[in-house]
Amino acid sequence: MARNSSKIEKRTHDRRRLSDLVFHELFQQVPFNVAIIDRDYNIIMANDNFTEYFGDWKGKKCYAVYKKLSKPCAECPSEEVFSTGKAVAADAVGIDQQGRKTHYIGNVFPITEEKGGRVEYVMEMTRSIIETGRLQSEYQILFDRVPCYITVIGEDYRIVRANEAFRENFGDVLGQLCYTVYKRRKTKCPNCPAAKTFRDGKIHNSTQLGTGKRGQEINYAVSTSPLMRGRGSVAHVIEISNDITALRKLEQEVIEAERLGAVGQTVAGLAHSIKNILMGLEGGKYIVSLGLKKNDKEMINKGWDMLERNFEKTTSLVKDFLSFSKGRLPDLKMISPAKLAEEIVELYKDIAAQSGIELKMELDGKIKNAPLDPDGIHTCLTNLVSNAIDACLMGEQRGTEVVIKVSDAGGKLVFAVSDNGSGIDYEIKKKIFTTFFTTKGGAGTGLGLLTTRKIVQEHGGKIMVESEKGKGARFRMEFPRKRLMALYKS
Amino acid sequence: MANSDKKTVLVVDDEADVRNFLQAALVEAGFNVILAEDGNQALNEVEKSKPDLISLDLVMPKKSGARFYRELNKNKAWSKIPVIIVTGHARDDLGKSDLKELTMSGPGIYLEKPVKPNNYIAAIKKLLGMDTTAEEKETAEMVELQSDLKNIIDDADPETLKKLKELLKKK
Repeated sequence: MARNSSKIEKRTHDRRRLSDLVFHELFQQVPFNVAIIDRDYNIIMANDNFTEYFGDWKGKKCYAVYKKLSKPCAECPSEEVFSTGKAVAADAVGIDQQGRKTHYIGNVFPITEEKGGRVEYVMEMTRSIIETGRLQSEYQILFDRVPCYITVIGEDYRIVRANEAFRENFGDVLGQLCYTVYKRRKTKCPNCPAAKTFRDGKIHNSTQLGTGKRGQEINYAVSTSPLMRGRGSVAHVIEISNDITALRKLEQEVIEAERLGAVGQTVAGLAHSIKNILMGLEGGKYIVSLGLKKNDKEMINKGWDMLERNFEKTTSLVKDFLSFSKGRLPDLKMISPAKLAEEIVELYKDIAAQSGIELKMELDGKIKNAPLDPDGIHTCLTNLVSNAIDACLMGEQRGTEVVIKVSDAGGKLVFAVSDNGSGIDYEIKKKIFTTFFTTKGGAGTGLGLLTTRKIVQEHGGKIMVESEKGKGARFRMEFPRKRLMALYKS
Repeated sequence: MANSDKKTVLVVDDEADVRNFLQAALVEAGFNVILAEDGNQALNEVEKSKPDLISLDLVMPKKSGARFYRELNKNKAWSKIPVIIVTGHARDDLGKSDLKELTMSGPGIYLEKPVKPNNYIAAIKKLLGMDTTAEEKETAEMVELQSDLKNIIDDADPETLKKLKELLKKK
């Protein structure tokens, strides 16, 4: 019996000890500043958080600790709790131990000996909201100042929120329909990205043209992302747009500058070609006059030949120049690329053979028909093949082979013309498509590759060159089939 | 055939018309002429015939004029041979850097295509320190002045160019 009672005593004792421990832990660990205050404003107990935040409190009045005041606060929530016995929520501005103004919120609870009895103490649990307040204003600043337009749109397509950048450019728009605001439309936009996000809950990106509040055009890249409701349906859509108007303008300026640059190079190249021709004419004239003076028929003939040759060069320069300057869309027809390459081989086989060069064609698998401008591609291949033959003749070690290879893989139709001739100097490679210059002396006008590149680009393709001096060269014309089809359909 | 009194000029140009033209003018003025189509041939000819002067094009296949000139300068005896550059590329990117290098070192002058026979011969005679008629002397001086001026103008800043233009307009 005695044993039992001592057991119960021990258990009670243990429980009390445990509850003391738990209380102590709770008191210290709870993420609040906790203080116990009596009816005379004395702080009797406080946790470490409180001490850390407000400083030493022992033997001090609450108003002195919270607010560094010398008398009780005008509005005291604790007084209310003492008189009513009910807990209250409160917020106040105080001064922390570093002397900084601090905004805190919390609750004041009554502590009574027995339920409904007189309130002897109150417990104040507070928490600084300085951090929260700062985050909130940071968020607000971020939302407003971030250099893009942000709106939040409801299911009815009305704008619920809009940031400052947006309001500046589109006006004060809360509650208005997004399509009216963004594009001055009376009906929903076709391909509305927000509608897609409402439907599938996914992010959608697109570029759009809108109208600002002053009627100015605004190009923007918009991405719409969902704000989900509890069970996965989309309650709102956030539209974040980047103004790309300046970028668009810049792009156009770059294109224009490149075009002007190309014109400049073309003119410089033209001047050079003409200089060469003038030199030939000057020479011819001089030799003819010398021949006349000496009555030397052979000399006259020689000079006359020079004159004729250089007049001929003028003609071909003008022809090349006109064909280059023709800004036309390619006349696309469904043709067999392999057949086209074959025609070129037939055309140049004999000329190449006369110089001991073998002109070959290779087909890499099956080549499907493609929409190409037969004349244009014919010109390109002719230019590349005749360049390759010249390169074979020019090299320090002579090359003996020119290969046209046609392949059709990975959505690309490719014509590659390679030779094992002289190769191209790095310096010259840099200029090969840009300046129209020639290293062939009088034999070329320097327009061949420029014209070729132009035709390839008109087909939506690109041309590349791989070469090393002395090791031959390979020119690749690549035509993405998608682009060819798009051009064909339009 | 080579007359020991006659000076020998090596004409290097990849264009047959230019070679013929310059050859005719030089022969008419009493020079011996050797021809080369590119830098490689030209080096062979320098070794073989020791010309008194080289007339050089810049942009040629195989060995360019600039590369030829560099190799020429490696040889002490050859580097003393005066060079006259006859080029169409004097003012474009392709020739400009080459030209700068060439006119900086060694003796020489450059003429821009198309050249007039008189100017060409006068400039060559001047470079070789040959007796010239008063008229030739004047022409040569003018050609040299023009060549120098072109170099200066190519390197001048916009401000100087403006002043220069004003100055020339006044005359």
